[in-house]
Amino acid sequence: MDAARLEAILSRYEGEPYDLIPVLQEIQDNYGYLPKDEVKEVARRLNVPLTQIYSVATFYKMFSLIPKGRHQVKVCLGTTCHLKGGPRLVDSLSSRLGVEVGYTSKDGQFSLETVGCLGSCAQAPVMMVDDKYFARVTVDKVPKILKLYQS
Amino acid sequence: MINLTIDGRAIQAEPGKTILEVARENGIFIPYLCYHPALKPIGSCRICVVEVKPGPPRPLPACATYVAEGQEVVTASPRLTAIRQELMKLVLINHALECPICDKGGECELQELTHALGVPEVDLTAIPATSPPDYESLLVERHTDRCVTCGRCVRLCRDHVGAMAINFMQRGYFTELGSGLLPLDCEFCGSCIDICPVGALINKQFKYRARAWEVTKTEMVCPFCGGGCTYELHLKDGEIMRVYNGETALLCGRGRFGWPVLSSPERLRTPLVRVNGELKEATWEEALTAAAGGLKAVLEEAGPGALYGVGSPRATNEANYLFQKFFRAGLGTNNLDNPARLHYVKALSALGQVFGWPEVKEADGPHPKPPAYTSPFTVKEDTKGSGFTFVLGFLEELPRADAALILGADLTPELPPLGWGVNAARQKDDFKLVVANPRGTKFDRWATVSLRYKPGAERLVVAGLMKALLTAKPDLAPAVPAQGFEEFKESLKKFSLKEYASRAGVEVADLEAAAAILAQAQAPAILFGTELLSQDKGDMNALALADLFLLVGKPGTPGSALYPVADKANTRGVCELGVLPDRLPGLLPLDSPAAPAFWGDKKVAQQPGPTLLEVLDLLEQDAPEAPRALWALGGDLLRWLPNRSRTEKLLGKVKFMVVQDAFRTDTAKLADVVLPVAIHAEQEGSFISSTGRLGVLKAALTADGVLPDWQIICRLASALGVPMSYRNPAQIFAEFARQIPLYAGLAPKKAVGKTGIPAELKGTFVPFDLDISLPGRRPFTLIIGKVLQHSGSYTTHEPCGTLVVTPEGAVSLNPEDAAQLELKAGDKARVISSHGEVEAKVALDPLLPAGVAFLPEHFAQPAAQMLTLNSNLVRVSIQKA
Repeated sequence: MDAARLEAILSRYEGEPYDLIPVLQEIQDNYGYLPKDEVKEVARRLNVPLTQIYSVATFYKMFSLIPKGRHQVKVCLGTTCHLKGGPRLVDSLSSRLGVEVGYTSKDGQFSLETVGCLGSCAQAPVMMVDDKYFARVTVDKVPKILKLYQS
Repeated sequence: MINLTIDGRAIQAEPGKTILEVARENGIFIPYLCYHPALKPIGSCRICVVEVKPGPPRPLPACATYVAEGQEVVTASPRLTAIRQELMKLVLINHALECPICDKGGECELQELTHALGVPEVDLTAIPATSPPDYESLLVERHTDRCVTCGRCVRLCRDHVGAMAINFMQRGYFTELGSGLLPLDCEFCGSCIDICPVGALINKQFKYRARAWEVTKTEMVCPFCGGGCTYELHLKDGEIMRVYNGETALLCGRGRFGWPVLSSPERLRTPLVRVNGELKEATWEEALTAAAGGLKAVLEEAGPGALYGVGSPRATNEANYLFQKFFRAGLGTNNLDNPARLHYVKALSALGQVFGWPEVKEADGPHPKPPAYTSPFTVKEDTKGSGFTFVLGFLEELPRADAALILGADLTPELPPLGWGVNAARQKDDFKLVVANPRGTKFDRWATVSLRYKPGAERLVVAGLMKALLTAKPDLAPAVPAQGFEEFKESLKKFSLKEYASRAGVEVADLEAAAAILAQAQAPAILFGTELLSQDKGDMNALALADLFLLVGKPGTPGSALYPVADKANTRGVCELGVLPDRLPGLLPLDSPAAPAFWGDKKVAQQPGPTLLEVLDLLEQDAPEAPRALWALGGDLLRWLPNRSRTEKLLGKVKFMVVQDAFRTDTAKLADVVLPVAIHAEQEGSFISSTGRLGVLKAALTADGVLPDWQIICRLASALGVPMSYRNPAQIFAEFARQIPLYAGLAPKKAVGKTGIPAELKGTFVPFDLDISLPGRRPFTLIIGKVLQHSGSYTTHEPCGTLVVTPEGAVSLNPEDAAQLELKAGDKARVISSHGEVEAKVALDPLLPAGVAFLPEHFAQPAAQMLTLNSNLVRVSIQKA
């Protein structure tokens, strides 16, 4: 465990149980996931039971317990997107990237997940790569979108 | 009282109860799944829905709806049945139907509910949500796919056990029970198993050994600590299958998983007699003849004073009573003591000084022929009690305390039920907790104020607290009439608050905050344990706490009491039954007018005997009054007395030694005759718990070659010319209960002092010593204390269940200290004091402050008492082995 890297995050908080979610968010952003040793240290420092941290970490989709890829692909499967072909996008992405939903591609470039709603139902179906939205996506647009991120 | 109707039946109920509670009390069936009587309701499964008028048109959960005047409740209707069946289908949708091999079969609440509600079939389909079972964890097996997510285990573990080792993972439909990391890292109490309505949590000891309907059940008291829990022993073909607590589900690991120790190959099954310097197996006749012969020779040569007796906190009240009766009525001496001399007796003597020794006057009786294990005295209007028994706390009332001070005790290892009590108390929003300990403990998490003082500085902390209290509130007066207050205040002036704080190693502000909590509390409880009493000046520590309680305590308010830990099953009983050199049964003084009645008007010797520690000094000085023979009723003296090499040398001077024990202890190895005794459910008898509860042991197992203590005492005493003959332990109980008005109203599961006797309390402030110096210059202060999974040395024999969790004693160090010594976890270290040294594995514990080390007392190796002089605190150096 890189103590200094974690300390840089923890030192900016008071060390109270209510700091848990912001601290986990920073670790997630910084490390790409929540590593086990770091989580244990957070439990100790914030005085939060380890099981509660795992309960929180598995509750919110924004946290991951396994390393994520460089780019996060999120496909919306909310009601509208679902009806407008979201599942087809998932299948297409899954086969093109060679990865199941919830996992990361072998080369560590892409993580694929499905989400409940991205708040842009008028432009369904919607997907996101990292912070960027892609609206009215069809299956044939998928290779183009991925190309933007494939290095 | 509130009047309501349930299904047309008029019912009177106490306000503040829920509909479900009232229905259960009145034998009306309402199905439920997530509710459990030991937990707060959460109303999540909704199976207990009932129609309530007046009320909203929708049905309400009975577990979370309070009864109200004029309510009309309907518990069964076509609409309710439809709702319940639909809910059950949703519960069953993903439930693994492995009933034939599920350990819960036959006692599964889901099975019974499905049957009771007549759920026809589950006509729903869903995405299968399956997680692999956890076979890896110790003692507990988890099958997430059988879980109905009722949350009982999560709530129990969080709110009552305080371990928070299991929680819900994921969310929504995929919610499952989990622990984050595998395997389970918890207290291994197994309470989650007994509260689980289904087979999601399985007791590995019980798995595949018996079906629920095959077992015969015996209710008895747990012998693994002074907590006095009662549980059900489930037997099949005369063998224990499991220990079960369906009522509150709470037991600790020792209680639930410790029982296999009964069948340990290390158990003694035949008496041993020393022949030509070696202990050889013998028959009971031979052994008792040898024991009687040896003791008789010493008694004839040197008189009755030459025999010294050591009672046992493991033995029943009945055995201990007979033991002291032999000495007092038979030999006419007071030459006896018990191993609690090293801790609990110090608390008693301090409490005796401050609150007086207990006495009950004008009890009604003795009535003829009371039921078994019931006092023949009853409480009448003018019965009056006095003395410290009436400031000692009851377990059931601890949750009602609104503030608690836990001083110098790692509470859960010391006495698990007290830990549950404090956890229950902290469920109240206004509860305030002060935790003072040199080490970090579990309860720091919930502490309003944590005081981390230097080891051994308890008295300075207490003095500092009182100083802060009196500075903030100069007109503070004790709740009961007290003497010596002015002189006592003078004695506190020795140091300023700042000096108290700095000498104890704590902050002034923390002392003030803790004092403010105690000053404002309406029902403060003070809890302390053997760790602080075992110090050289443990009696002074107890005195300080008794003074503090006299100052801030609210005796008579439920929950406001002193809770000293009596660590073993009958530590309190062995003392209260008079196995002390200066107290008779009922803690009466030797010159009590009631005393001669004990043994047919035979006069009790007025000269108190030497204490256990004085006996060692006498032996060292080769004094003429030093005992030449020793009769020990168990209690491994070598293991428990400080300075082991000295004890070993001095016990060698004793000419003839008889030891009654279940195991071949180190002390037994020195004996001339060893008599194997029955333990646990092999014998009948009673215990008095740390909080005064009378627990009854039942003889559910056959004793294989061993005898109960009381029978051995009867036979040996008779052979020594003191005839004793009793039919059973209940008869012995009846004999001593007739002499002890203090026990008026006592019956199984009732607590001494909690039988409705009105108490007239008064106190005397007694100044205490403030010198906390610890001799020596070695760099570490070693604390010798208890660990959670063990009770004395009892649980350290294979195949005790808790040995898989804590198989050996390790010396715990702060990680930074360990790094400086170039020690890693698991390394071997030499721990050296000025009196001896031991080798132990190293464990790292970030909760220990720098310069403090901890070593458990339980194990044969490392033998902690090799290091000690006269206290459980000792300065040591630690190096790599």
